[in-house]
Amino acid sequence: MTAVNARPNSTPNSAVSWIKVRLFPNMASGIVTLLLLPVVVYLAYRSFLFVAINGRWEVIQRNLTLFMQGTFPRDEQWRIVVQLILMGLALGFGTATALAASADRAREAGLPFARQRPWQMARRFWPLILFVLVLLYFANTSAPWLVMLVALAVIGVGATARFLPTRLRNLGWILMALSLIAGFQVVSGTTGRSWLATATIVSIGVWISVRLERLETLPRLAAKTVLVALAAAVVFGIYTFVTVPGIGWDRWSGLHLTLWVSALAIVLSFPLGLLLALARRSTLPALRALATGYIELIRGVPLITLLFMGQFILGFMLPAAADPSSVTRAIAAMTLFTAAYVAEIVRGGLQALPYGQTEAAQAVGLPPGKTMRLVILPQALRAVIPAMVGQFISIFKDSSLLFIIGINEFLGVRSLVHAQADFRSIAHAETLVFIAFGYWAFAYSMSRESQRLERRLRVGL
Amino acid sequence: MTSETGGNAFADATQARGEAFIEVTDVDKFFGDFQALKDINMKVGKQEVVVVIGPSGSGKSTLIRCINRLEKHDRGRIVVDGIELSDDIRNIQEVRRETGMVFQQFNLFPHLTVLENVTLAPREVRHMPKREAEDLAMEMLERVKIPEQARKFPGQLSGGQQQRVAIARALAMQPKVMLFDEVTSALDPEMIKEVLDVMVKLAEGGMTMIVVTHEMGFARAVANRVVFMSDGQIVEVGTPEHFFTDPQEDRTKLFLSQIL
Repeated sequence: MTAVNARPNSTPNSAVSWIKVRLFPNMASGIVTLLLLPVVVYLAYRSFLFVAINGRWEVIQRNLTLFMQGTFPRDEQWRIVVQLILMGLALGFGTATALAASADRAREAGLPFARQRPWQMARRFWPLILFVLVLLYFANTSAPWLVMLVALAVIGVGATARFLPTRLRNLGWILMALSLIAGFQVVSGTTGRSWLATATIVSIGVWISVRLERLETLPRLAAKTVLVALAAAVVFGIYTFVTVPGIGWDRWSGLHLTLWVSALAIVLSFPLGLLLALARRSTLPALRALATGYIELIRGVPLITLLFMGQFILGFMLPAAADPSSVTRAIAAMTLFTAAYVAEIVRGGLQALPYGQTEAAQAVGLPPGKTMRLVILPQALRAVIPAMVGQFISIFKDSSLLFIIGINEFLGVRSLVHAQADFRSIAHAETLVFIAFGYWAFAYSMSRESQRLERRLRVGL
Repeated sequence: MTSETGGNAFADATQARGEAFIEVTDVDKFFGDFQALKDINMKVGKQEVVVVIGPSGSGKSTLIRCINRLEKHDRGRIVVDGIELSDDIRNIQEVRRETGMVFQQFNLFPHLTVLENVTLAPREVRHMPKREAEDLAMEMLERVKIPEQARKFPGQLSGGQQQRVAIARALAMQPKVMLFDEVTSALDPEMIKEVLDVMVKLAEGGMTMIVVTHEMGFARAVANRVVFMSDGQIVEVGTPEHFFTDPQEDRTKLFLSQIL
């Protein structure tokens, strides 16, 4: 509060001058400081008492597994452990590849690019690291420590992707995608329609990475289609011969479910929102009306209503054979909800872009689709990163509403904890504070990363 | 066909030098109730440099923006290299591939490096392989004397450098005609020369050019014909010698007295 008055020019060199400059730069600020100081000290004292002395934190300690994975079958816990490790691998591949790509561009453009040291990374993600440390503090056995060490080691393994030569850069992304798929399906299993999800991801990858620049438009599209079909067929073949049984996500819960549901809603709502934004700006009146109608309809309805509708009404619109689980319905509702907001955010970005960009693209002969994809969207999306991440943080936190429709995600686990005889009437505050801290650690990290991204993209990297 | 506006021997914009490459016939353009172009007739021959001057709001930018269909004309015909501009997107694309345009505000793509700015259209429109497109781009950047900036982003360059990149970007599509829309108006005085030098070189190299500008020195030195527009009409046309020393129309005289 008093930091507002801090003068950037004065560099305090001792505690006394720091206090003078930051807290008592002038009469008015001094009075505000004197008034607020007791309040801050008192609140800090009470918080300290609660956290360090009075809090009955054994409620977390004894239920840590419940908070993390909820009612997921305990004897199948190894699946989540393996998933965690594979996610670490994906994280390593992904960040290493992204950083290496940025470094390449920076080097070419002659811009400075400092590779981050591990401790700088740690400072970047301090809220998450703090959360993990708190979890480890509450751990009863050494197993979580072991898992954490293995996961860290695996991140290191993935990070070797940065040594890939530039022309093999796509390999880093492919490895990341494969680790993600494997990580997901080690828990969910590979039976049923899961081949479809894998085939979709693989197809998109093939479509993007195959360019065939020498071919004319039609043969190129035909060749790409054939390649995509081939890739999908290969995936289908593998899934037919190799099946791994698993636990479907309708039986996931706890923080594990919260993270997956949010991640899926975010990842799926982005392309949908993009299409809606483009449809709303389309020159075809019917398409425009449809998109506008959808967006305004969804934005006029509370998420919780949509979640209930997903549970009770979706059945009328789908064929009887397709009977999605309540988690699937919830993800669908969250995706449809977020997409409407993403669409409006993207539209804002499109409108903010100077029209000269479109004209310049048209003038060099780019057709409308490529103008949008190569010139307009990359800039518009960069401009709206903060708003977009804000929306994603919002849907992440709103995933706690799933508790109301009977899905025991992170917050919902609380009701299981307080159903236990030992904690029926005590430690309600402790569980709430712990869960709030968990949400905050993820949400604040997302917010920090978005600010970072914004700063970086401003230079064009 | 003769123009009804103007009405003297010098105001005939319809006589191209040599074979007509661009033909603008009886073109009207409205923005709402405001008529931006009134009955414009003009021909531009191959390798001809036509400089269009006139007070702001006279329709000169609108005229060249109609030639590559950034604005749609409401009446009349515009034919570029035998292709008549119509609502058919394929015709429009074909004309745009043959015309390069440079804007007052540069309009470089800020998220792409200089090299990517220049290679984008050859790669995406002409389906040129990356390597080949980059060689071509470097050639164009050398023509505008800026090859050393290829890997930088537009935001790292000065205005004059950006405008030269914009010229290189247009040239990379190997257009048959270049349209310049007040390309030096947004530049600091010391940067105007470097851009004009590039344009002079281009004209000497035989490029067909239509140049909307306030740079009278450039018009005098390079133009084959000067077209003076006012209130959406072509008022007077002439060779630079005639135009600057012996203007016929009162509006031309008034304009020249204000700027010279």
